Amino acid sequence: MENVAIHEDWRSRFSELAPGLLLFARQWVRSRADAEDIVQEAFVRFWRRNHAITNRALLYATVRSIALDLIRRDSRRARREAEAVSESAQVVEPEFELVDEAQSALAAALDRLPHDQREVLVMKIWNELTFAEIASALGISQNTAASRYRYALAALKKIFQPQ
Amino acid sequence: MNDFSEIEQELKRLRLAQPSHAFLVRVGQAIADPEIGEDKIIWPNRFRLNWIAPGVGVAAAALFLVLAQIRTQRGEKQSERITQGPAATQPQSTSPNQFIPTGATQVVYNVRDEGLHFTDGSEGPMRRLRYQTRQTLQWRNARTGESLRVSYPSEEVVLIPISGQ
Repeated sequence: MENVAIHEDWRSRFSELAPGLLLFARQWVRSRADAEDIVQEAFVRFWRRNHAITNRALLYATVRSIALDLIRRDSRRARREAEAVSESAQVVEPEFELVDEAQSALAAALDRLPHDQREVLVMKIWNELTFAEIASALGISQNTAASRYRYALAALKKIFQPQ
Repeated sequence: MNDFSEIEQELKRLRLAQPSHAFLVRVGQAIADPEIGEDKIIWPNRFRLNWIAPGVGVAAAALFLVLAQIRTQRGEKQSERITQGPAATQPQSTSPNQFIPTGATQVVYNVRDEGLHFTDGSEGPMRRLRYQTRQTLQWRNARTGESLRVSYPSEEVVLIPISGQ
């Protein structure tokens, strides 16, 4: 009975976290299917190792680790995905339910951010991680995480609210 | 941070697309059934590949040494044949006719922190550091003065257990 309860708890927690995790994973892969595979593997691995679902930094680090390993394994794939994450290339379109032109423009501007800034922004805005959690997941200092976040916001603000 | 509150609000208004029901069911099944999804887990296998470059380098160095040894031994036999007779009574050099290791250096030119990772069999996460180095090995033949130097790039991954995450 306890296992069923735990399963249900995990399922409900996964339903809450899945949209943000998928957006996070989509930074490294183009297709939604690949992102779903990455998130599934991360979550199942987490489950099998009895990690606390509240340890979000570790969960996101796992997603990131699996995504990076995935694109490194296949050189052709790595080339393709490296193009996807490079600053100059057409990058992955985040999965948002866009309601108007302004939101479409904002989502497009988000894509044009440097990858390291967009990564922090995605974790902070749509996954609501603290800077301490982001720093732990990415292996950087809290100051660096906060700086990248501020640079990302400044870049977006410059686009949408030119002085 | 107040300067950015407006743009932050705009970003938060972007609503994430919800995952498909099929995806949620698939993950639910994978969690419930230990047989499902095990083969889908991608384990880091870079560590094994990392030893290929140094291995090739060492093998090349060994082959080079063997060939150099054969060549110098042949030259020694010829010179012994020529000097047979009265000159053979002269005392022979005590230094061995072989290459002796004289130095080995390892220059680390890049260290990359790749964040937290899982490895096979580990209970917790480990921090993965990737060292890119250039190894240089040197040998010298004390008798002929010839020297041999082999230099090759190598990559080393160090996994540091993390506690208290």
